[in-house]
Amino acid sequence: MVLARWWRTRIPRYRLIGAQCKSCGRAHYPPRKACPYCGSTELEQVMLPRRGILESYTVVQSIPGDTRFQAPIIVGLVRLENGVRLVAELTDVQPEELKLGLEVEATMRRIREDGDNGTIMYGLKFRPILGKS
Amino acid sequence: MVYVSKVGMVKIGRHYEKSPRDLAFEAVREALADADIDSIDYLVVASSLTYMQSPQLDLAAYIGSSLGLPVKSALAVEAGENSGLAAIEVAVNLIRSHAAEKVLVIGVDKLTDYPSGPTYEMLEALYDTESDAIYRIGHAAPLAMLMRIYMEKYGIDRNTLAYWPAMMHAHAKENPYAMLRFAIKPEKVTTAMPIADPITLLDAYPLGDGAAAILLTSEDQVGDHLARIKEVAGAVGMPSIALRDDPLMLEHVAKLSNELNLSEEKVDVIELHDNFTIMGLLLLESLGLAPRGKAAELVAAGYFDVDGEGPLVNASGGLKARGHPIGATGVYMVAEVALQLAGKFPGVKRPGAEKGLAVGVNAHGSSTRIVVMESV
Repeated sequence: MVLARWWRTRIPRYRLIGAQCKSCGRAHYPPRKACPYCGSTELEQVMLPRRGILESYTVVQSIPGDTRFQAPIIVGLVRLENGVRLVAELTDVQPEELKLGLEVEATMRRIREDGDNGTIMYGLKFRPILGKS
Repeated sequence: MVYVSKVGMVKIGRHYEKSPRDLAFEAVREALADADIDSIDYLVVASSLTYMQSPQLDLAAYIGSSLGLPVKSALAVEAGENSGLAAIEVAVNLIRSHAAEKVLVIGVDKLTDYPSGPTYEMLEALYDTESDAIYRIGHAAPLAMLMRIYMEKYGIDRNTLAYWPAMMHAHAKENPYAMLRFAIKPEKVTTAMPIADPITLLDAYPLGDGAAAILLTSEDQVGDHLARIKEVAGAVGMPSIALRDDPLMLEHVAKLSNELNLSEEKVDVIELHDNFTIMGLLLLESLGLAPRGKAAELVAAGYFDVDGEGPLVNASGGLKARGHPIGATGVYMVAEVALQLAGKFPGVKRPGAEKGLAVGVNAHGSSTRIVVMESV
């Protein structure tokens, strides 16, 4: 992960900020310069709801990089309460607890490390809402 | 018109002792072994991982100057897993625009220069590194999530999806250029090691090195051509499965298929992009060659096999079993379809094939390209 790129994208990643299109009304995440649905550049940044449901998931065993000791990595397709979908890592959940429709919420976590002595990179992962699994 | 005149392929595998340049050289030597060619107007090289690995820039010129054949001009094309067909598209347009008459296309990539972990990390960059690939999704997670949605939405069990890899291996067994030349039983797919569930090791392409070369020529060039390229067209798709209204439909592939009238006309042979089982099925459905939710059952019933009613799909063994040296794969596809249309494919054949397709995408479908070919 290139540090400068990671730094540039930090705010939406820390705060779950998306973009809402003033033309077609649809929102997306992370925010882009043009609406992926209608192409309009009239967009405004919006805070997205931090809760949603799991529309799909996978337990990744073919771990990228040299972080095999962290296997498995769980990745989900989350539909937020306002309908915006995103791909994100899941945390605080065991593979056997996963199910479609599981209610999840965003939580700040460590995402990557640049070696033993490098930068630690943070962002939002999703975890089951307590009492809802 | 643009013709596929000569093709050469290296058997995909673990070529530890060979560099990308060595593999490219072998493919070109095989392609031009019996060709009466003293120079090349243009060399177009398709490669993807080379830039992250070697690293080597101006790759096409360095390959071009080591072929033992004068190359007038050279450039490289990168479009991830779709690089091979992108290079074909550029080459075809060079000929159509009369900028060149003899264009050599080489696809080359190596996946065994690093251990699998770092290789999966490089392959992660096939996805959007500013959204989905911020996370450690590896090379399979988005496709695994599509597979789960497919099974859930259409009520299809894991075993039905296992017939795709079984068919690919049966085909690869007959293809001397394939990496995995052995048959497997469908039930082995389901019980194989998971790599990103429900995707198992036997749903996924193997990590192998390869190179393929194709000489494309204009109609002014005489010689025995293998096939004619009728159309080549590309389309750009959504950057993430999360942005698709229906994650199981590749809208840009469907649109391109409509523009090319693919579901209307009879197609005899297809080489299509099955980086994972689910992508092979989603492409058949998005192209309009199988009804929504029915591709897996049609595959299991043998519809796309050599004696089936439908087009013969992936006679090579596909990405699954022929192998998938990322940037090179599209060049293999076009070579294989051309050999089928000439009745010269050295494996599972559809005799009398007149029309063929090569269909490629990158990752979950960030881009696609379709090449329509005819027999001569």
